[in-house]
Amino acid sequence: MMNNLPLFNEMLNSLQNSNRRNMLKQSGVGFGYLAAAALLGELSSKAVGAETAFERALAAKPSHFPCKAKRAIFLFMKGGPSHIDTFDYKPQLQKDDGKELPFDKPRVQFAKTGKLLGSPWKFARYGQSGSFVSQLFPNVAKHVDDLCFIHSLHGTNAAHGGALLKLHTGSDAFVRPSLGAWLSYGLGTENSDLPGFVTICPTLAHGGVNNWGSAFLPAIYQGTPLGNASMPSDQATVRYIKSASGVSREVQREQLDLLRELHQQKAQNGQVDEVLDSRIASMELAFRMQTEMPLAEDLSQESAGTHELYGLNDPMTANFGRQCLLARRLIERGVRYVQVTHSDAFVQWDQHSDLKKGHEKNAKEVDLPIAALLQDLKQRGLLDETLVIWTGEFGRTPVAEGTNGRDHNPEGFTAWLAGGGVKGGFHYGATDEYGYYAVDNKVHLHDFHATILALLGLDHEKLTYRYAGRDFRLTDIHGKVAWDVFA
Amino acid sequence: MSPSHLGIPAQLFVVLIWLTSVGLAQDPIDEASSTVQSSQQQTSEQQAAQIAFFESKIRPILHEHCVSCHGAEKQEGGLRLDSPQAIAMGGDSGGVFQIADPNASLILVAVRQLDSSLIMPPAPAPKLSPAAIADLAKWIEGGAVMPMGPEAGPAGTQKKPKIGREHWSFQPIAKPALPNIATTAWDQNAIDLFIRQAQEAKGVRSQVAADKSLWLRRITFDLIGLPPTVSEIESFLADTSEAAYDRVIDRLLASPQYGVRWGRFWLDVVRYSDSNGLDENIAHGTAWRYRNYVIDSLNEDKPYDRFLTEQIAGDLLPAAHRSERIANLTATAFLAMGPKVLAEVDERKMEMDIIDEQIDTLGKAFLGMTFGCARCHDHKFDPVSTQDYYGLAGVFKSTHTMDSFTKIAKWHENEIATEQEELERKAKEAEIAELKARIEKLTAEGATDAEKKSLSERLDAIQKAIPVLPTVMGVKEGSVQNVPLHVRGNHLALAGEVKRRFPEVLNLNNAVSLDEQQSGRLQLAAWMTNRSHPLTARVVVNRLWRWHFGKGLVASTDNFGALGEKPSHPELLDWLAAELMESGWSLKHVQRLIVTSATYRQASERNPAAEELDPENRLLWRYPVRRLEAEAIRDFLLAAAGDIDLARGTSLLHVGNREFLFDHTSIDKTKYDSHLRAIYLPVIRNHLYDLFDLFDYSDAATVQGDRGSTIVAPQALFMLNSGLVHESAKRLAEQLQATDFETDEKRIQYLHLRLYGRYPTANEATAMLSFVDRGGVENRGERWTYLCQAALAANDFLFVR
Repeated sequence: MMNNLPLFNEMLNSLQNSNRRNMLKQSGVGFGYLAAAALLGELSSKAVGAETAFERALAAKPSHFPCKAKRAIFLFMKGGPSHIDTFDYKPQLQKDDGKELPFDKPRVQFAKTGKLLGSPWKFARYGQSGSFVSQLFPNVAKHVDDLCFIHSLHGTNAAHGGALLKLHTGSDAFVRPSLGAWLSYGLGTENSDLPGFVTICPTLAHGGVNNWGSAFLPAIYQGTPLGNASMPSDQATVRYIKSASGVSREVQREQLDLLRELHQQKAQNGQVDEVLDSRIASMELAFRMQTEMPLAEDLSQESAGTHELYGLNDPMTANFGRQCLLARRLIERGVRYVQVTHSDAFVQWDQHSDLKKGHEKNAKEVDLPIAALLQDLKQRGLLDETLVIWTGEFGRTPVAEGTNGRDHNPEGFTAWLAGGGVKGGFHYGATDEYGYYAVDNKVHLHDFHATILALLGLDHEKLTYRYAGRDFRLTDIHGKVAWDVFA
Repeated sequence: MSPSHLGIPAQLFVVLIWLTSVGLAQDPIDEASSTVQSSQQQTSEQQAAQIAFFESKIRPILHEHCVSCHGAEKQEGGLRLDSPQAIAMGGDSGGVFQIADPNASLILVAVRQLDSSLIMPPAPAPKLSPAAIADLAKWIEGGAVMPMGPEAGPAGTQKKPKIGREHWSFQPIAKPALPNIATTAWDQNAIDLFIRQAQEAKGVRSQVAADKSLWLRRITFDLIGLPPTVSEIESFLADTSEAAYDRVIDRLLASPQYGVRWGRFWLDVVRYSDSNGLDENIAHGTAWRYRNYVIDSLNEDKPYDRFLTEQIAGDLLPAAHRSERIANLTATAFLAMGPKVLAEVDERKMEMDIIDEQIDTLGKAFLGMTFGCARCHDHKFDPVSTQDYYGLAGVFKSTHTMDSFTKIAKWHENEIATEQEELERKAKEAEIAELKARIEKLTAEGATDAEKKSLSERLDAIQKAIPVLPTVMGVKEGSVQNVPLHVRGNHLALAGEVKRRFPEVLNLNNAVSLDEQQSGRLQLAAWMTNRSHPLTARVVVNRLWRWHFGKGLVASTDNFGALGEKPSHPELLDWLAAELMESGWSLKHVQRLIVTSATYRQASERNPAAEELDPENRLLWRYPVRRLEAEAIRDFLLAAAGDIDLARGTSLLHVGNREFLFDHTSIDKTKYDSHLRAIYLPVIRNHLYDLFDLFDYSDAATVQGDRGSTIVAPQALFMLNSGLVHESAKRLAEQLQATDFETDEKRIQYLHLRLYGRYPTANEATAMLSFVDRGGVENRGERWTYLCQAALAANDFLFVR
């Protein structure tokens, strides 16, 4: 083990300099940060697990500036929920139902659209803030005073694929690291036995893994998927977390001990280097993750009241409810960023027709669980330090597609944030009187990314990674933080 | 309208910038002055005076008040004002000034602070002085004259000055003389002299030759991606002659499995994929033909210049016979299989994005140049201008890649039927025609359906079974045209047309000129494979070195520009590049030199003294310990169980060409249970095979000459828990037990040879045997399986030393 002292010192120096990039570079072959940190723990003391190493590693790289949010949950509504039927009330649209749109439609549209289509749902004011919410979200409406609405989001692509990539990675033209990967790169994880970024039931379509990938960032920062959108959430788990042929934990322990013994024999002959050492450490880490992950996923640990709260007893809400509860359990255990995707094996919120039927079903599935998550986080004192993000890849047009549908609308749509240092009951930015274009305090997706990073204490211009000779950022050369949403 | 026509020296060529509103169509003008118009009315004295005015008055204003936000560091509004070229480009809002209507110039509106949405400099900076504003107005009224020649320096001080022709990788390749050092018994060939010279300068020493069995395992994985068999190990160890090494190398280089291994490396470089990925994940149902073309090309050691030319312009090459023509067409899939946003609603944007992807891939793959950067602005670090970029873009705009841009867009497929296939199809067509005629005749004669039944049935059967002629994605010539410069890469903001041409800085003395009848791809390939091209040979020998040693002589294999790494052994790099060209561009020749070197043959043991001086092993004082690549791990898992199938594959996709692998369903039915070698498994962008994904496979979307080699816990989960590993372990354990070994010690010995390519030490054997014994007699079978599982998860399995 003494052979590794130069490497150890090098790492320690890097950590003290809070220079993650150097550390990764100096680790030679570029083995993952997780393994590197595990090695660190390994070297510092036999009894110390990787958790301590991670804590140390994290302590050495604080956020760029003070902030409230320590972690985030992104509730992603796949398909594009209609902002004008949910959180962006447009009385003028109701009045002008059936009339021509009095201004130009965008140069590029996804589908052919016709005249203005009023919302089939009524809106009412809620909370101290008197925020408008439609009938679709009666439970979320109870929390409006905790929500910070951004009504002027814009700038995704008009097609699902481009829009998902742009929302998740900032680029619809190249494979780039995802938001979650940037966050784990910037902040690390607080629990060394779990990944820093977990995505629950993500869709494989429309960018697929690229939406949680690390691209050129080290692989350790990529999202760990639990299942995918085609499977029920109670089947979703980490790949290969269980032995395919039912080898017991005891036997696996014996196997690892054998490998360790063989490894140590080699070390005595000078045939072991830091790479081989860290591989052994990574095996131990995997072994611990096998215990930790099923524990995190075990919802039977939760009370009957909690099951009821998240709607786990109702088939309508159970699937998404489980995802939300799982998100809370992961966040609680120190996972930095959890994405929860609401998507079945179709394009869930994509109501090109039958808006009423489709959106009603979709909203029913998520409304109660989302409200439960907000309430639960608040009760546990976690909401203050957890940023909750809700949006789709775009909104929908105020003009009708066919008779009763709406087309994709990336020109203006709504996201809301909750907890983690945002102003509650606050509305930022606006679309025009019909909700077609963002007009006031426009927030481009790059600005949205810059704002999310800032809420988590990261300066989007400083969070860079050098690749192929260039310093890359999530926001590329763009991005303005919407400081007005900060509490 | 060249400078010489105006009677003034080129370097003092002065131009009027004439940028009105962005998007205004302009007449095509000479490439050297597109977006700018020269003034013939002015005398050179007047122009010189105006330049002096710009230098003395305008440049300082811009430098003092503007460049901090509109310069090298920041480009607010997509605008830079730190060089005449940048000023001429304008920003996101369009041109900086309007000569025809100076007061409407955005820069004047901004500094006069007439429009609340455009106040410059922004608060709290003070407004410009009236004198400064007056100077700016005067300058624009006078035609906004700026020096546009090559001497026009930046307005501000840039942090990183742009490199020029003096950059190392743009220098001609001259074969260096061999190092003038005494040879030693250690040396095997010239490579070792270069390596040793650099080591001696630092005072480090190489390792002795590796243990023979480790070397055999190393070279076998290296050249064919598989472990040596037990009998290969035994016979190599028994052959104590020096020639034994060469015999192994000869055997491996001649093996058809060589192309499988080395073709896969090339597939990384060309972002090979069996699906489009990106937005609409539909099948590249014919890409496999290109994959097999690559395997064949490497196996036959096709000269690299030819290999390159076929991939860029195979459709334009003459062919002696049909099979050559088919190979040529197949090669052009290189240009066709990039990831595309096939549902991009803006069709013009889609087309330019596809062209951009082609240029980007071509530049990185063959030249180590990041041309893509120049799409929106002059390359910030390398001497590649937007003019260079759009000169190249014209070549690809003149190439037909897509049959349709309407969502879901369709790429082009070239027909590649053999004569035999054509004949067969024609015969069937004739038969169909004949049957139809007979049926018609019978109908005319009043025959009933029942009477025609047998003929109709035969017709149906033939029509159903008529062979579809094979196609392969690829390109052909399109309508030859130049492309207008896209201001800031925006396809809606077009400026003057740029003539098709190749990047200026790499303009070779005997530059090829493009004719009006062809896209220019053939000339592009000729330019790239010209022996005086400084990049092509260097880039590819460096790739070979990277794949043999895990790190390139130039570590940034895909970037030889200013931001790339400098070569660790520049002379060795050039020597190898010269060797490549002298050998007639034989890749195998260069590889043979590399693997026969003592540098390659040395041991991988650590050396504290050398580690101190060169911790990264840049001087190659030991052979680097390397983790196997994803494909090698997968093939080895099958080989360990004796289950690998070395046959040649075609397509393992479960869907047809252009069909969805999966749409929004997220249900990917692709199967990876074939026992063919990993190169034949489907490469699905957005959803790679788990094992590939876990072990740093290329993402198949961009040029990847330098894959990562990470060690992360999810890999360990795979090795501990996956069905593939367990199945291999089970089969291996069964074979160990079924074979009639005299003792369990012999079994352990065999296990070691099979997995680790060497005999076990006594301690290893003891540890393993006691692991088996611990389960008691009744569980022995199971214990052997557990042992094999552990053995497959061991470092010795996963790493090559």
